[in-house]
Order: sequence, then C-alpha cells, then structure tokens
Amino acid sequence: MLSRSAEGLYWIGRYLERGQHSCRLIADQFETIKDRPVNQIDKGWQRLFQGLQRVPFGGRPNSNTDDEQFMLVDAYTLADDLTFEPSNPNSIRNSLANARENARQVRNVVDEDLWACLNLSFLDLRDIDITDIWKDRPNEFYRRTEDSVRTFFGIAESNMYRDDGWYFLQLGRFIERAQLIVGLIKAQFVVYSVNDSKAGVDTDSGGDTDWLSLLRICAARDSYRRFHSLYYEHSALVNFLVADPQLSRSIRYASAQICEALEAVSGGRPLVVEAGRRAGRLAALIDYDWPNRNPADNNAVLAILHEIGDSCRRLHDDIDTAYFSYAIGEGMDG
Amino acid sequence: MAAEQTGANGPAEKSQLFAGYKINPAFYDEMFDATGAPREHCRELWKVLRAIPHEEITTMQERVERSFLNEGITFSVYGEEGAQDHIIPIDIIPRLIAAAEWESLEKGLHQRIQALNLFLADIYGPERIINDGVIPPDMVRGCPQFRNAMRGVEVAHGIHVSVCGTDLVRSHDGFMVLEDNLRVPSGVSYMLANRAAIKTTLRDVFRRQKVRNIDGYGRLLRQTLAELSPHGDADPTIVLLTPGIYNSAFYEHMFLAREMGVELVTGNDLVASNGFVYMRTTAGLRRVDVIYRRIDDDFLDPLVFRPDSQLGTPGLFDAYRLGNVAIANAPGTGVADDKSMYAYVPEMIRYYLDEEPLLANVETHLCRDPEALEYTLDNLDNLVIKEVGGSGGYGMLIGPHATTEERNAFARKINASPENYISQPVLDLSCAPCLTDDDAAPRHVDLRPFVLCGREIRLVPGAFCRVALTAGSLVVNSSQGGGGKDFWVLSE
Repeated sequence: MLSRSAEGLYWIGRYLERGQHSCRLIADQFETIKDRPVNQIDKGWQRLFQGLQRVPFGGRPNSNTDDEQFMLVDAYTLADDLTFEPSNPNSIRNSLANARENARQVRNVVDEDLWACLNLSFLDLRDIDITDIWKDRPNEFYRRTEDSVRTFFGIAESNMYRDDGWYFLQLGRFIERAQLIVGLIKAQFVVYSVNDSKAGVDTDSGGDTDWLSLLRICAARDSYRRFHSLYYEHSALVNFLVADPQLSRSIRYASAQICEALEAVSGGRPLVVEAGRRAGRLAALIDYDWPNRNPADNNAVLAILHEIGDSCRRLHDDIDTAYFSYAIGEGMDG
Repeated sequence: MAAEQTGANGPAEKSQLFAGYKINPAFYDEMFDATGAPREHCRELWKVLRAIPHEEITTMQERVERSFLNEGITFSVYGEEGAQDHIIPIDIIPRLIAAAEWESLEKGLHQRIQALNLFLADIYGPERIINDGVIPPDMVRGCPQFRNAMRGVEVAHGIHVSVCGTDLVRSHDGFMVLEDNLRVPSGVSYMLANRAAIKTTLRDVFRRQKVRNIDGYGRLLRQTLAELSPHGDADPTIVLLTPGIYNSAFYEHMFLAREMGVELVTGNDLVASNGFVYMRTTAGLRRVDVIYRRIDDDFLDPLVFRPDSQLGTPGLFDAYRLGNVAIANAPGTGVADDKSMYAYVPEMIRYYLDEEPLLANVETHLCRDPEALEYTLDNLDNLVIKEVGGSGGYGMLIGPHATTEERNAFARKINASPENYISQPVLDLSCAPCLTDDDAAPRHVDLRPFVLCGREIRLVPGAFCRVALTAGSLVVNSSQGGGGKDFWVLSE
C-alpha cells in the first residue's frame, strides 16, 4: 500500500479514538454533575484535563468549590474547551475534522460507506457550538458523536479488506488508546488518593464514585463486577485496566492489537523489524514488569505507566520511519 | 394516463413543469421543436416530468444536491475560502440525444483525435506539416505550450493524447467543436456522478427510455492506460498523479483512482532513481509503469520544467525519455489544443487522414493575422474574444454582454499582443429545459464527451453536459456559476 495512504488511515484511527475518548470523558463527567458535591465535580474536571494533558484556553479560573453557580458556568466553559475550542488541536470537533481531512486525502482507499459516515459526523458538528448542545441535554450530543465513531469502526470492521490499510487503521487506533488510558490512570493517581485500605466500599452505595467513573469511562464497570468484585479495590481496578487481556479498553488489549497489526504488515526490512521489537517490549512491560510491581508503591506503579506511555510514543516514531517516511536507500532493501 | 389528465385541466396545467416554458427561436432547443412539441426521442421523459407535481420535483432536486454534498462530490473555486465544499449544481432534468445523432458525433470525435495524435507525433518528430507549409513554424515552436524537451522523444504507439475531453456546442446548424481539451481534461466524474444520482431519482423513465450504459468508463480508462505500458506486461502498475486535495478536481482524481483500482499519488509519493520511477509503499519502493497525470506539464519534473515546482518528481522526465515509464497525456500536448491552433484542426484532418472533417469548427479569427485583427477590433461588440492560452472561461470577453469600458480595455490588450487573441462569433448555444424556482426554463448547454485512445479509440456513450444556470448566460464553466446535467444517449 502507498505509504501516504497507510499514514492517512493510521491518523484516522488515532483521531477518531481521541475524539471518542473525549466524548466518553465528558459524558461521564456530566453524570457526575447530576448529583455529586461540587468539590467532587471539580476533581472530575481536574482528572479530565490532566489525563489529556490540556490546560483550558485562557487558563482555568480558581475553582470555587462552594459555589453551585460557578460550577455550572465552569462546566460550560470546560466542556466547550474540549469540544469546540478552535485552538485546542485535540478538541472533539478538531479530532473529527482531522480524521475527515485525512480520509479526504486518501479517499480512494476509504470505503464509500466509511467516508459517508465520517463526512456526515463531521458535517453534524461543523456548524454548531456549545450553546446549541447546552440548550437540550448535552449528554445526547456526546452519545451521538461517540455513536458515529463507533459506527465508523463498525463499518470498517465489516467492510474493510484486511490489507495494510486495515492494519494501519488498527495501529493508529490502539496506540492512541493505550496512550489515552495511560494518561487517564496517571491522572487518577494524581488527583485522587489511592489507598486500598479505604477501599472496599460496596459498588452500589456510591461511596467511591471517582473510581466507579474510571471504570465507566473505560466501559469496564459490568465486566469488573462480573469477573472481579463488587468492591472497588483500587489496585485491583487499576490492574484490570492495565493488564486484563479481554477488556477492550485495557492497555494489555491495545498492546495485543498493536502486535498483531505490526506482524501483519511487517516486511522484514531492518527498520520494520525494529518497530516489531518495540511492540514486543511494550507487551513485555505489561506481561512481566507490571505483575512484579509493588501495588502499594504508587511511585513504582506510576513509573511503569510512564514507561508504557513512553514506549507508545517511540513506537509511533518507529512506525513512521519504517513505513511512512523512510529514506530511499532503506526502501530499496525490501 | 396521469400525465394527460394533468395537462387537460386548467389549474393543474398552470402548475405543470413546462406550462410557462418559452422557447426562444434564436436557439436550438434540445427538448422541443420550433412548434413547442417535444422532440420524438424526448417524449417519454417529457410525459413523466410534466406529470410530477412541481413541489415534488423541487424535493427531488434538493435531495440530489444534498446527496452530492454528503458524498463529498465537490470542487473548489480558486481563491475562495473554505472552497473544498462546493458542489457542482446538478439540474435534474436530463438532456437526451437520439441514437443516430450520437453515432455521427462518435465518428467525428474518432476522426479528430486521430488527426490530433498524428499532428503531435509529427511536430515533435519529422515536422512534415510544417515543412509542407500547412502550419507556420512559429505557430508551433512559438506556442507557450510547445515543449522542446519532447522533441525526438519516442512516445509509446505514437499516442500523445490518451484522454481527450472535447467541448461540443449545438446551434441550428448542428454540432460544432468549441475546444479540444488535450492536457488534463476533467469532468468525467461528474458525468458518472450525475448519472448515478439521476438514475436513482428518475428510475422508471430511465428504464423506459433505454439509456445506454456508461459504467464502464473506469475499466476502459484502465485498459487504455495499460496499453501504454513500456514493459508490455499484462498487469502494469498504473498510478494517478494528482496535485493534491486543494486542486479543484481532486474529487475526480480520487474517484478515478478508485474506479480503476490504482494508487492515487502526489509528486512526493514518487521517486525517480536510476532512470525508473518508483512509488513509496509500506513494503518499500515499487516500480511504476504508467502515470496518468492530472497535473500540468509545468509541474511534472522541476529538473526539466518549472524549477520552483513543489508538486513534481525530480528525474521523472528522464525516466520517461528513457522509455521506462509512460505518461498520459504526454507532456506538450497543449500545443494542439491552443486556441489558435484550434483553427488548423480541419486542415490537420485533411492533411493526415485525407478526409473531410465530420465535425465542424467554430469560425475563428486569429488576431495574429492583420486582416483578422482589423475585423476583430471593428466588431468587438458582437464577437467573443479569447486569450489563446486561457481556459476555464477566464480571460475572455463576450462582446455583446460587455460594457464599452470592458471592450476598450480588451482592445488595448489585443493591440498590445495580437498573437495572444482569437475572436469568434457569439455562438447561438442550444438550450435545454432546467428547473428554476417557478418551473422549467431554457438554459444554454454544452457537452463534453471523453475520448480514450490506446491501441484503439474508445468512448463511453455519455458526456458531461454543462449548463449556464443563469438565465441568458453563455458561460457554462463550473468555476463561474455553471452546473451539470445528466446526458442520456438513447439506444435504437
């Protein structure tokens, strides 16, 4: 496949995953807004922005955690920043616009149905702003937008020919996912106290909703309850999101998808082999280093998470030099 | 039948699509004869259309336009912000042509592309037509589109022009060629998109009218290009070279690449090395055999043409000259569709084929000739003046529609460099009914069929029909308010 086409699909995967993740984060935060105390809402926003490594446009006013009115205005501004802010390159609208722009450039390798889905999703939010979605129920908007991303991947799953194009779409999607989940868990550690002794609250009582929402964002609540516990033990929960091979939003799952995709596209050239090795090391981090950590040592946990995130970034560079922008001599070897 | 009943009732008659249709006898009408009766081959369509309530037709029209936007069938206008999202407005009333008439057009187009290819092979080769005094040497060598680099280059099968989009117009005297587009003619995707949309919208009448199929264009184009491959292999690697997404015809490039199942590349995706051209793929560099280029000569290879071009691939022309890659259309074809060279095409047909031209030319005065210059300047108010190298409706003056100041300004330009201008009579372009806000009204139309030339000449029975959507306007270019229509070639 033409390198530029593969690169386009890779970025479509990344941008859509990014857009979808933001939809999930904000939708979940709105759940919190419904009935939680103001300081808890404030912490929710903190986690959200930290996880995305974003400072709201113009900075964030000092939070006044006692003031209900402030809290609502704040929510409006912050949601706007993550959804429509033109200068935020990772806003939901920009993510979809970027995905569409990439698709437009490689449209000859994008299925007609896929293109139509992406084009319509973008046109849907191209001309609206935060006031439009605030008028009614903002959650509807985020659900609808996430749905359109899900539809995209659903069509891709059912229509796409399994050539390099498919695997680069997967690579982009899952490298992005791994990085986003790493960011989210790290932010959780920074914003909330992590202490297993305080855990053990019944999942239904709502006592530990900050952790419940982490599961919700990762679509992991039901499976956690089914396969682990009705009690949110912090370290078990983090372990679930990092290392569970069957949870589609776990880092372990994303890493397996990355390895599989790289294996499918690899061509034996030296740089390609290097990218494959890097993916193997990422998997090894989760399979071997992670289980050996001391779960009570937050710094040790954060260090491994940091290494995983770093590994993803390097993998991105490796893929770029191996497949997209290799030097001519390197290309001739194949 | 519902149609007849509607027509018989007074009030219903008023809301009927063609109730207020006024035929201007000065122009040939594609659907109605001089008495106002529908032409025989249009009867079926006319009956169906007049039976549809006006609101319903308007809804159909809106639905088609929306589908174009949703599917991203768009073009851009140079110099406009957010230009990527224009659609070429489509009028849902198709234009029809009877089988026999199409057949004679087809013959004329075959003849013309043959002569043009022979001409190009000649002027970059032995120059017989110049030596025999048929065409003045400076007209050829002095033409800005003449490419010195092409002299003596062996072009596969002598085919310089593989894809030609010929602009045809019709007056009361019949069809005439207005322009041969031999460089990078566009519009074929709109022919296919218009067809897809109208076939869905008017499916019953489409069936009944026995419209000939045009779906094979992508296959024919691929076949034509494959025949140019210098390596003679059965399945050569073909690519479509585009300037990129900001080009006004990008949609078409993408569309054709997909139709043909070939890669869509930009200059940066190609690498010329050791006299061959490669494309950059995820599995390393892969040799390219045929390039269907949709960028101008100037931007193909900065080493040979424009050195400041960012779009091209350095070394590409060398690989071409060595015969290791084919480029379609060949560089330098523009010399044959230059507006002054146009006047000589009938002569070319006689010279190379020893035949009389089957398709007429529009009477053309070359201002380089002093008599023609004088005539042109004396008759500015009823002539169309065109810049020799202009295209897309830019750089032209329609005398009768221009103000005195505009005419005077043009006269100064013509006097300054007469060889840059030609003049033609204002054409009585034919009209076809178009949907307007109130009902159907006549609008001027032209026609661009696409002729393919590989080992043989191929032509799908269809064309991009362009419409000047503004009442009275003669400018059909999509960059200047023109639209499109589906064009139905009927079988026997």
